[in-house]
Amino acid sequence: MSLDLKQIRSEFPILERRLPNGKKLVYFDNAATSQKPKCVISAMSNYYEQYNSNAHRANHTLADEATTALEEARNSIARFFGTSPEQLIYTSGATEAINLVAFSWARANLSENDIVVVTEMEHHADIVPWQQLSKELGIEVRYAPINTETFTLDMDAFSVAVSDSSLVCVVHTSNVLGVRNPIEEIIQISHSSGAKVLLDCAQSASHEKILFDQLGADFVAISAHKMAGPTGIGCLLVKKDAMTQMTPFMTGGSMIRTVTTEGSTFQDGHAMFETGTPRIAEAIGWGAAVEWLNQFEMKEIHSHVNNIASWTASEMRKIPGIKIYGEPERKDSSGAVSFLHESIQSLDLALLLDEGGFAVRTGHHCAQPLMDALNVPSTNRASFWIYNTMDEAEMFVEYLKHIVDRFS
Amino acid sequence: MSEDIKWPDNLIPIIEEFRDCFDSMERYELLFDYAKKHPSPLSQDMWDESNQIIGCQSRAHVLCNLDIDGNFIMRGGADAQIVQGLMAITALAVNGMSPEYVSQMSPNYANEMGIQSSLTPSRANGFLNMFRRIQEEARKFL
Repeated sequence: MSLDLKQIRSEFPILERRLPNGKKLVYFDNAATSQKPKCVISAMSNYYEQYNSNAHRANHTLADEATTALEEARNSIARFFGTSPEQLIYTSGATEAINLVAFSWARANLSENDIVVVTEMEHHADIVPWQQLSKELGIEVRYAPINTETFTLDMDAFSVAVSDSSLVCVVHTSNVLGVRNPIEEIIQISHSSGAKVLLDCAQSASHEKILFDQLGADFVAISAHKMAGPTGIGCLLVKKDAMTQMTPFMTGGSMIRTVTTEGSTFQDGHAMFETGTPRIAEAIGWGAAVEWLNQFEMKEIHSHVNNIASWTASEMRKIPGIKIYGEPERKDSSGAVSFLHESIQSLDLALLLDEGGFAVRTGHHCAQPLMDALNVPSTNRASFWIYNTMDEAEMFVEYLKHIVDRFS
Repeated sequence: MSEDIKWPDNLIPIIEEFRDCFDSMERYELLFDYAKKHPSPLSQDMWDESNQIIGCQSRAHVLCNLDIDGNFIMRGGADAQIVQGLMAITALAVNGMSPEYVSQMSPNYANEMGIQSSLTPSRANGFLNMFRRIQEEARKFL
């Protein structure tokens, strides 16, 4: 079954928007955040209009409805990721999920002689927490390099790097290069070395089926807003044995069992890490998003975004002065196409593309070590998702040619 | 600030040139042209943290001093041509003026040129950050 793009697009009102200059929006910044279908917006509005109440705290009808909706969302999201709801800890997003591993697991289980391996293509969210922990605990943060010819992880160097490590933190799909790391092999090599594995799946969850229990990673970090859900929520998926090794990170309401003047005892499992009033509306919105995604095969979504990215990259390579960073033509690549023009600076190019209605990202993409490895300060990035069309890609390439002719 | 001081007369034909542009793309093209005509560029080897403008979406640096007659000179550089163009026009306005005049100038010439209307608030803030930095530098010479 192929995707019914007309139907899909009709569910995203924002795609009909015109910019202040009258140009129709062409949204190619999906790696930063996806747009939201009407059902997600309605689910959140409905919560606020009909049963807004605090969850897990009271016995009145609204509180019961809010608690039920919050936990039903957890069930839906956990099912979507092939795991049980007990293994899902709500966080504000992938960044907080990674920080949760740093503060709750690593702080309790690592010490001065331990080594944490990250890759050069990590997002800052998967670098800075480890650098901070290094200052606190004296752990070594070791960087597995990329091959700048193929834009892929150097797996030989990776194997050497992880051999004596305790934790391996790897991005599933690079937000800059669109490269999919061989996570199955990475998990196998890391576990053989006795290291736990944390996967940053912020980019991949929108176009690849992630089945946590089958995958075998110890931790998986996910953001809702890149997969049709709202901002402000995500989760950390945690293996049962790893969760028993975690200590509370944030403390306060909800996560306690008893509090006396002498001290406190804590809840078990995910509840120990969900402090304060939950993100109720956001969880309900994310639950609606995964139910919406359930109507599609993730393979179909991947194939769709990969086709657009592959075609766009191959056409862009024909434009004089354009260089692509990554291999979007690879079948396992995501929908991200990073590029630079040799004489039109990335911010200029982004502003000129915006004049044409094309929303692309520019900057270091929160991946400065990767920018250093590529020896560039920034890139432009077009990134595609389920509602983008080949017509939009064709318009983009034509407009880019026009910009290059006029401004280079 | 004196009501009489807005910007120097040499900006008037530049403002008219931008007003005559057919659309924002033509205005951007003109900014690219002005970027090449920067009267006092700051070469990249002079870019450092002390002269970097914070809050600009691209890298932008300004270094200000007085010439032997005590007139204000602003040197500037940016990696984006659009920013460099705005800097060049600003340099054409402020160079040779007294620090007092620069400290009291209005940044509204960008609005009059039709540039600010095509900038989103965050981009307009980038320009204003640059302008405020130049005025801060001018005040140091008072």
